[in-house]
Amino acid sequence: MKDKLEAMLIAAQQAVATAADEAALQDVRVQFLGKKGELTAIMKGMGALSAEERPVIGAVANKVKDELSEAIEQRLVLLKQEAVSQRLANEKIDVTLPGRRGQFGSKHPVTLVTEELIEIFSSLGFCVAEGPEVEQDFYNFEALNIPKDHPARDMQDTFYINDEVVLRTHTSPVQIRSMLKQAPPVRVIAPGTVYRRDSDITHSPMFHQIEGFMVDENITFGDLKGILTTFIHECFGKNVGVRFRPSFFPFTEPSAEVDIQCVICGGKGCRVCKNSGWLEILGSGMIDPEVFKSVNYDSERYSGFAFGMGLERIAMLKYGVNDLRLFFENDVRFLRQF
Amino acid sequence: MNVTYKWLKELVDFDLDGDQLSHRLTMAGLEVDFMEQLGEGLDTVIVARLEQVEAHPDADKLTMCQVNTGTEVIPVVCGAKNHKQGDLIALAQVGSVLPGDFKIKKSKIRGAVSQGMLCSEKELGLAEESEGIMILPNDLQLGTPVFEALGLKDIRYEIGLTPNRADCLSVVGVAREVAAMVGETMKLPELATVEESAVDTQTLTSVTIDDVDGCPRYMARLIQGVKIGPSPEWLVRRLESVGQRSINNVVDVTNYLLMELGHPLHAFDFSTLRDKRIVVKRAKADEKFVTLDGQERVLKESDLVICDGEGSIALAGIMGGENSEVQDTTVDVLLESAYFDPISIRRTSKRLGIHTEASHRFERGADIDIVPLALERATALIQQVAGGQVAKEAIDNYPKVLEKKCVEIAVEKTNRLLGLDLTLDQIDRLLRSIELKTTSLNDGTTLSVEIPRSRHDLEREVDLIEEVARLNGYDNIPVTMPSSRVVHRRKEQHQSFVSRLRDVLVAEGCREIINYSFLSPQAWDKIQLAKDDVRRSNVRILNPLTEEQSVMRTSLVPAMLDTVARNIAYRSEDLRLFELRPVFAVEKEQDQPRETMNLCIALTGRREIEGWSQSNDSIDFFDLKGMVELVCNQLNMQPLRVEADARESYLHPGKSCRVYSGSELIGVMGELHPLVQETYDIDQPVFLVEFDVAKMLLSQTGPVKFQPISRFPDVYRDSAILVENSVSADQVLEVISSVKVKNLDDVILFDLYSGKGIPEGKKSLAFRIRYRSSEKTLTDEEINKMHAKIVKSLEKNLGAELR
Repeated sequence: MKDKLEAMLIAAQQAVATAADEAALQDVRVQFLGKKGELTAIMKGMGALSAEERPVIGAVANKVKDELSEAIEQRLVLLKQEAVSQRLANEKIDVTLPGRRGQFGSKHPVTLVTEELIEIFSSLGFCVAEGPEVEQDFYNFEALNIPKDHPARDMQDTFYINDEVVLRTHTSPVQIRSMLKQAPPVRVIAPGTVYRRDSDITHSPMFHQIEGFMVDENITFGDLKGILTTFIHECFGKNVGVRFRPSFFPFTEPSAEVDIQCVICGGKGCRVCKNSGWLEILGSGMIDPEVFKSVNYDSERYSGFAFGMGLERIAMLKYGVNDLRLFFENDVRFLRQF
Repeated sequence: MNVTYKWLKELVDFDLDGDQLSHRLTMAGLEVDFMEQLGEGLDTVIVARLEQVEAHPDADKLTMCQVNTGTEVIPVVCGAKNHKQGDLIALAQVGSVLPGDFKIKKSKIRGAVSQGMLCSEKELGLAEESEGIMILPNDLQLGTPVFEALGLKDIRYEIGLTPNRADCLSVVGVAREVAAMVGETMKLPELATVEESAVDTQTLTSVTIDDVDGCPRYMARLIQGVKIGPSPEWLVRRLESVGQRSINNVVDVTNYLLMELGHPLHAFDFSTLRDKRIVVKRAKADEKFVTLDGQERVLKESDLVICDGEGSIALAGIMGGENSEVQDTTVDVLLESAYFDPISIRRTSKRLGIHTEASHRFERGADIDIVPLALERATALIQQVAGGQVAKEAIDNYPKVLEKKCVEIAVEKTNRLLGLDLTLDQIDRLLRSIELKTTSLNDGTTLSVEIPRSRHDLEREVDLIEEVARLNGYDNIPVTMPSSRVVHRRKEQHQSFVSRLRDVLVAEGCREIINYSFLSPQAWDKIQLAKDDVRRSNVRILNPLTEEQSVMRTSLVPAMLDTVARNIAYRSEDLRLFELRPVFAVEKEQDQPRETMNLCIALTGRREIEGWSQSNDSIDFFDLKGMVELVCNQLNMQPLRVEADARESYLHPGKSCRVYSGSELIGVMGELHPLVQETYDIDQPVFLVEFDVAKMLLSQTGPVKFQPISRFPDVYRDSAILVENSVSADQVLEVISSVKVKNLDDVILFDLYSGKGIPEGKKSLAFRIRYRSSEKTLTDEEINKMHAKIVKSLEKNLGAELR
């Protein structure tokens, strides 16, 4: 009987090993271990055995049963693994196909620059103010020490609505409006749209500026240099050279034009900087006492500085845009680059 | 303003090279816009002598020359006629590159070898026009570069002056600055003194000033018997070096003084003066006057004119008249040196649109004290270059002496404003360097400064502080950070709202555009606005650049459509664009319009980006609506409600709506009207939104209120109902939400169908209604009861039939 059992085990093991899938394996189990299977059939001969043989054969039978069950289990795991591997192999995709993207838009580069500048100046304690684009002559000129019939009016070609109303030529009127609203200390920046009657390759009749000013006791020209140098280093990098040179604006005295080392050629001289190695990027100065007078600030007690710059110009330098007109053509091939 | 290195060098002794000078000028506030090396790269054009000149055997108009360069004799073929053997000429050697990128090569002309070119003044860039080749003076050294030999090597600086520095509108003015920089003093070259005749000027002519405010000082000289002709070489070259064209000797002298001293002079042909006298007064109203450029001008009573005994002969300080212009036949010259009121000059020149070198200076403020010097130097020069007798003693009519100002500057204030630590002595030295006279006051804390009448920009202490900062050098002011008090102010609500709105639109795939705020009034016809539409009442620009940019926009739609059309023309056909900009509504009895922020969105083209697995479906109304709902939801606005038909001329009446958030009408959206689409040459549907951002802001709800989450499962029931076509989805949803059912969680319309199987005039709407309790798991019985209640209400209120 022992021989029979061992022979069956060998046969069964062979059957397990050749079972091609789960179903075949199930058949093997039924054939050998099922209620009507071969093991049961062999065990029917137990009755004929002696009392000494019975436990020995019983142990052999159990061992055969365990071994076979184990073999079936192992085979089952193996077959499952193979089946999964096969399925996965069949499911292989070309992962280099382009992804299915959703859509994401873009902000206008002028907005991007405005946001960056607001961020920089906010970190320096400036808050944002706004004002109307169709502005009274008083705020745009008179209060800024630009009387009628003054040659300084030629610096800015103006669009007039009537004798007393203009399209603002700069964001400086926001300075006046802000100071009329609050007493020092003030630190304000005012981004906005401005208009000048000028249109060619390098001039647009509408463009954007950001104005900033700060008034308190003991504000010096050195502080102007400090704040603007910090701004330039934040905006264009810590190693960019900065220079302040005398200039003229009716609403500041002393006035300074601020140049940065040409970001295109690094100061060696190129077409963009007209071979000077420097780029003019902003106008600034200590706020003129006449301006303080028109907003009822005491110029003996307070001092302050103001500055203004063109946002398109900053965008052109930052992004290397070579044509001002691109900003207002709204070609998506331009817009999607930002 | 043009100056040259050499001219400056004649007035000041400085030790700076061309580049250093340029840098120092710029850093002193006299920005050098442009620097030009005269004669640069022309060192191979040398002085040479014509040893032999023979006719070319095969060409009548050519000569064959043997040219001595000092080291060799070479053959050159020349087409000019004005040269002869023995002349010194300018030889451009082979390899030279003349202005205009004209390269000189060795060549054969009609069989004769030519190793260079004999140059004309024009070819060397020395004159605009010239006849024949340039014949050089006999005393030049052979072989030396021509520009060097003639002393023409120079640098021209073009200085962009700020309007406050009228005092630098002259070589002398710039030289004074250079002198201050290098610690030298500026000296005017001396001229021969005027030789006066015995005849007294007063006996020959007179000057009357009727308008003392307009003309505080008028001087005149009479020079009789001049000979008008070309100016001498040096004068022509000098004027050309600063960009002035030579006209004739007398006019050139006035222009020379204009450049040198910055004072405009005018020469009249004395013989044309009726009554032989000068009267300065205001013009007659509507007076017609022909200026020397041949233009007829219509004058006003406010215009200052120079008259003779009968009428106008010049627009004071701006331009002379044709009737008194110096001509080749002129014999007697009346020379004017005057000072005119800046505002008067400016008004007239602006109104008439005449901008001249003279008006430029007078309107910025000339120097009344230089009037006699300018007249004397000019008279002396005219006598030198054109001859003539100068009548005795100039007329000096000076009825209104302008006061001379003194301004005080305090050391403490100066240092406080600049962040410097200067002493009184240092400040004093700086101010004296530009020839200001100073006196120390109050124990050395303050200086009193006498302001020369040439410095119209120095009126107040702060103006002097600027001079101190400038002369001391902005570079020498230390960089500091302010020790100001902290100011705190958060972004205003609408500022945050607009920036959040922009972020959400970008996240929704839209690109921001910026169009001009002005547009053509015809734009309203293009989008077919009704004649009485309020948006047609626009703020109009008085002086627009073009009619296309003449009114301020009241809607963002026309420019958006232009942008869409332009992009499609460039074959960018799938567009999601937005603009977030102000519009300008005319306000009654207000000077300024009301400026409010609008939002415009345009969608067109494919719904998904092009790709191997994406659909090619086009965007439709519901893409737009979905986006709008999402955007408004993201901005915490109250739920949107729409009313069919936007009643907007440019939108499709059946595919558009007015949009409300809460009770606020925030704007319209819909498909572009096909006829408007056609006027913009767009051949695909476009979907538009225009909202008033202020209204959107008003419908914002407070911060998010948290809702507890149920732990119990949801159960849903689907029902399809048949309703009349006229019943809207909104009506159905409203009925459902008005049924009092406690555990209704969510309603989704998941199918809309009409056609086969559905009776004519009806449609099938299928809903999935989700029920959920926060307290327990709902039983089938409870759910069925609730659902039946809803279905019943739909049947009752909308005549719906359950399918």
